Amino acid sequence: MNAIFAIAGTTLGEAIRRKVLLIIMMVGLTMLILTPAISSLSIRGQHDVLIQMVLGILKITSAILAVTLTVYLLPNEVERRTIYTILSKPVLRSQFLIGKYLGSVGALAIMLVMMTVVLLVAFAIQQSAWSVSQLMPIIQPAFLLLFQMALLAAVAMFFSTFSTPVINFFLTGLVFIFGTLMNPIFETYVTRESSGFMSIVARVAHYVIPNFGSLDISSGATQGGQVMRGGDLVYMTQGMIMALVYIGILLILSVLVFDNKEV
Amino acid sequence: MDGILPHCPKPLEETLDLALAIRTEALTKAYKTRTRRVDVVHKLNLEVEEGEIFGFLGPNGAGKTTTIKMLLSIIYPTSGKAEVLGKEIGNIAIHRKLSYLPEKPYYYEHMTGKEILNFYARLFNLRGDDKDKKIDELLEYVNLANAAGKPISQYSKGMQQRIGLAQSLLNDPQLLFLDEPTAGLDPIAHVEIRDLILRMREQGKTVFISSHELSDVERICDRVAILNTGRVKVQGKLDDLLRGGRVEITAEGVPQDLREKINHDGVIISQHGDRLIIDAADTIPTADFIDAIRAAKGTIVSIIPRRKRLEDLFVETIQSKDDVDGSNG
Ligand SMILES: Nc1ncnc2c1ncn2[C@@H]1O[C@H](COP(=O)(O)OP(=O)(O)OP(=O)(O)O)[C@@H](O)[C@H]1O
Ligand SMILES: [Mg+2]
Repeated sequence: MNAIFAIAGTTLGEAIRRKVLLIIMMVGLTMLILTPAISSLSIRGQHDVLIQMVLGILKITSAILAVTLTVYLLPNEVERRTIYTILSKPVLRSQFLIGKYLGSVGALAIMLVMMTVVLLVAFAIQQSAWSVSQLMPIIQPAFLLLFQMALLAAVAMFFSTFSTPVINFFLTGLVFIFGTLMNPIFETYVTRESSGFMSIVARVAHYVIPNFGSLDISSGATQGGQVMRGGDLVYMTQGMIMALVYIGILLILSVLVFDNKEV
Repeated sequence: MDGILPHCPKPLEETLDLALAIRTEALTKAYKTRTRRVDVVHKLNLEVEEGEIFGFLGPNGAGKTTTIKMLLSIIYPTSGKAEVLGKEIGNIAIHRKLSYLPEKPYYYEHMTGKEILNFYARLFNLRGDDKDKKIDELLEYVNLANAAGKPISQYSKGMQQRIGLAQSLLNDPQLLFLDEPTAGLDPIAHVEIRDLILRMREQGKTVFISSHELSDVERICDRVAILNTGRVKVQGKLDDLLRGGRVEITAEGVPQDLREKINHDGVIISQHGDRLIIDAADTIPTADFIDAIRAAKGTIVSIIPRRKRLEDLFVETIQSKDDVDGSNG
């Protein structure tokens, strides 16, 4: 356990220090600060649209962060040969991998919290909304977003055990896009009692590709036609459990691949 | 002539009680290129005794690093067996008792020397006061106590190598793998690292060291193996391997006709004023020369038996074609 936390700790420290990521984060922050200003200029700049926009930016920024952070996690260790000294210690490869993962999720959490706080302050100022219940429509999705990003990081981590960073970018990006946009379409095949090749493919895709949409309060709010109730704990819990199960499976698969990998 | 009678003196089990720190049996690592399979390490049989400094030599690409990585389970053998500290490789428990200093090592550069040691100590599950004490002790030991708070990125190569040695000593290992520990260091840093390695032997540790610095190896190693294209060409005690060198006789007042008589094959004669230096392989009957010089009223100034230099052995071994690794019987 000590080894896992030691590895997670250094990974977190390094992730926070990485300048590239900081730059991306700064861009994200700027956009977040600018958004309320832009929307206040528009005529239809009302409450809900504003929330949707800032949540969207938050999501894109953190998705970019999550992927750039994890895609290089293992390749960097090999390239800089830091992994050799670590694996020569009594450290299992599974411990190494899990430590790396936890460290990067920790870093993601810190960055996400920082961005959310900036966003909340900007939002509160712009809307003069300072009560918790008024801010909840942002806090809740941001919390779920952390699970989404942890899941996305696990996807990237899994791909990085057997592919190069560039390919990994594409693969992870595809999974995210499919998991976010396409899964509702696949889902219709599952509920429909149809057979045939396309439907089998859709069913497989539906179960294999994690449904990022189920961790979206914002998309539920717009697409479902009805506004999510702030206290809909069942919906949130289901999404979080789904994410944790997928993360667990992805980490197990990553360890299986990584255990046999030559570094 | 491969593998009619595989070189296999005893089954592994019977030799367990032998005090061997490393033992490999036909250890092989192959990589497939597009067209063929290349044995980067081929049927390697190594025996490293406990408590010795073992030099693992060979030209670039000979397979030294590959072998070390296999012994540490960083990569996996294609075939063959290996035991480290009496246990088959792949057993993570033995990693408590060994350590590794990779070639050209890098560390998390933003961390300070002390933070790095702290990180590695935690990988060994060291905690609390024990850990802090050990770290301070080692920083002192490798003479980095003053630079402990500086980030590694500001360390010189010599300092980086010393912090590397410190991290490799955190667990008080029985066996150390040092891959080119003195590469790229200035003479002073060389001496420092060499002294540190010699002190490790005094403490009863086994040191497996891969190096191109033959003069270092000659000074500190007990036994060596010379590897070429993945095959062991020579393995043995350094003293034995270098014995049977040359004899250098310096004489004065040697008449011209005698000089011509001395001029055999395998004898190099050089003239410095009245002084004659005869450099002869020790297979040549030099005693006869000495008698003849004395009989001709010449003076023998000195007779110095010269050990073969490791460099000579190395070049000889790499250039010779025959395979001495025992894989042919
Ligand atoms: N992953 C790999 N795939 C294919 N060939 C490899 C791989 N890793 C190493 N090799 C080859 O194996 C050979 C031995 O490499 P190795 O690093 O063990 O040599 P070395 O003896 O340590 O050399 P040096 O003294 O230069 O460090 C080299 O020819 C190298 O190209
Ligand atoms: Mg090497």
